[in-house]
Amino acid sequence: MVLRIRLARFGKKHSPFYNIVVAHARTARNSRPLEVLGTYDPIPKPPRPGDTHGRPWKDIKLDLDRARYWVGVGAQPSDTAWRLLSMVGILEPQYRVSQIQGKVVKADSAAKSIIPPTATPAATPSNA
Amino acid sequence: MPPCIRPSNVSSSIASCSSIRPRSIPQPARAARDFSQSSSRQITKRRRQFYQWLNGPGRALKEPLPGSTNYLGAYDRFGNLIRADNRYLTGRKKKEEAEEGEDEAASKSGQEADETDMTERRLDEAAENEDKKQEELKLPPESKEDLRPFPGNKYFQSQPVLSEDLREAIYQAMVDPVSPMSLPAASVHFGVSNERIGAVYRLKHMEKEWIAKGKTLAIPYRQAVMDMLPKTPYVSDKNKRPIPHEPINDLIVHPATRQQLFVPVAESRVFTRVDAGKAFDNNLLPADERIPHPEMVQVERDTLSGMSAAERFERAKERLLTQIKEKTEKEEAAKEAEKAALTRVPRRRWDFVIQNVSVESVGKNGRDHRGVGWRYGLPHEDRKKGQVKIPTSVEA
Repeated sequence: MVLRIRLARFGKKHSPFYNIVVAHARTARNSRPLEVLGTYDPIPKPPRPGDTHGRPWKDIKLDLDRARYWVGVGAQPSDTAWRLLSMVGILEPQYRVSQIQGKVVKADSAAKSIIPPTATPAATPSNA
Repeated sequence: MPPCIRPSNVSSSIASCSSIRPRSIPQPARAARDFSQSSSRQITKRRRQFYQWLNGPGRALKEPLPGSTNYLGAYDRFGNLIRADNRYLTGRKKKEEAEEGEDEAASKSGQEADETDMTERRLDEAAENEDKKQEELKLPPESKEDLRPFPGNKYFQSQPVLSEDLREAIYQAMVDPVSPMSLPAASVHFGVSNERIGAVYRLKHMEKEWIAKGKTLAIPYRQAVMDMLPKTPYVSDKNKRPIPHEPINDLIVHPATRQQLFVPVAESRVFTRVDAGKAFDNNLLPADERIPHPEMVQVERDTLSGMSAAERFERAKERLLTQIKEKTEKEEAAKEAEKAALTRVPRRRWDFVIQNVSVESVGKNGRDHRGVGWRYGLPHEDRKKGQVKIPTSVEA
């Protein structure tokens, strides 16, 4: 069976909190996993008093070695888990903002090329 | 009709008048409450005595004494203020008479508009004489007996609180832009314990913030309470020493030292206080280091060894500098370690702070409370009795 690295939602209503878990793909979301790799608190915390830049922050706890191991043996991260793992360099980022923008532009230009130019000359696609 | 006595007059009139002269302020002696079912219609002897006391010797305690505490221990059994001397009593009497005169004048001026000038002039005169009167009306300072709220318990004394000026002075000394005083230094200088200095700093800081925000402060309330309490005054004279508020170098009783221990020690062995600390607990510091101000002991030792003042000062300064250096180094090292353990990934709206943990921390059965993540198969106990949700520390 496929192993997945995914999030399991805990916490109360309106205060989500996630365990980052390794589990079989077909088991229920909150069932007992093979291993709890860490946690992810999606609620941004206010900047710390000593923080000069004063940026809000989100807390992630993760066992990096175990995460690397599970990815190495073929566990498939979900999109969200991929995003978290890519932050620490375990995986290549799945989506990049520039990549998505490029795709949008491509689709845009493709759509325009289908429509035959009638009154105005075809607009040149802007390069992103 | 009973004599109408203004509340401000009441306390003043008490000190002067001997309570033997019967004064009857009729207190409403309620026989029974409206809702009461019991038939306690008759006035008992105790109740009568109680109202007798309330109208006689006890009346002085109804209103606070201006500029002084007003405890039961300061009065004799006839309701006379024990420490009031003749000068004070005569001053009181004069003031009362003057006030009565003013009352009459005020009532007259209400009827006759011509006399307003007269009353104004009189008020001016009164303002001039104010200083003299204040001097006359000043009570001698309280003795220990005067600070007893419960005369039966002679060991209970009302303890002084920090006066408003002293608290302001402590805060100003600690935030001084040129040479700010550290917390232990302020504690030694003002004779106030470390904890209290910390509390004063935090509360003053908050007060300033509130003032800056334009919040309303309960100043009249503070004033009223402070007027009723004994205070440690602030000595603004730089050449004089501040009045110590409390003993600052008391040894805090550590829970590990509460047990009684019998440790047999060979006579040949040197058993110091360090060993005594270790006998209680291996991690327990000796008493010399657990006291709030170990540096004061060092200074005393230097004095005993016959060093000159300049030499002592030099050594104390050196010790302080090394201590500060060690502390900052330690803090910086801790900060560095924390930074190394955390990975910060800045994103558009917030940073992701990633902390490396170990999955082993849940233990073999996966139930250790130190483990990472939300527990499986364990109830969340946040609604259980005795769960403390109030933050126990302030991050500042």
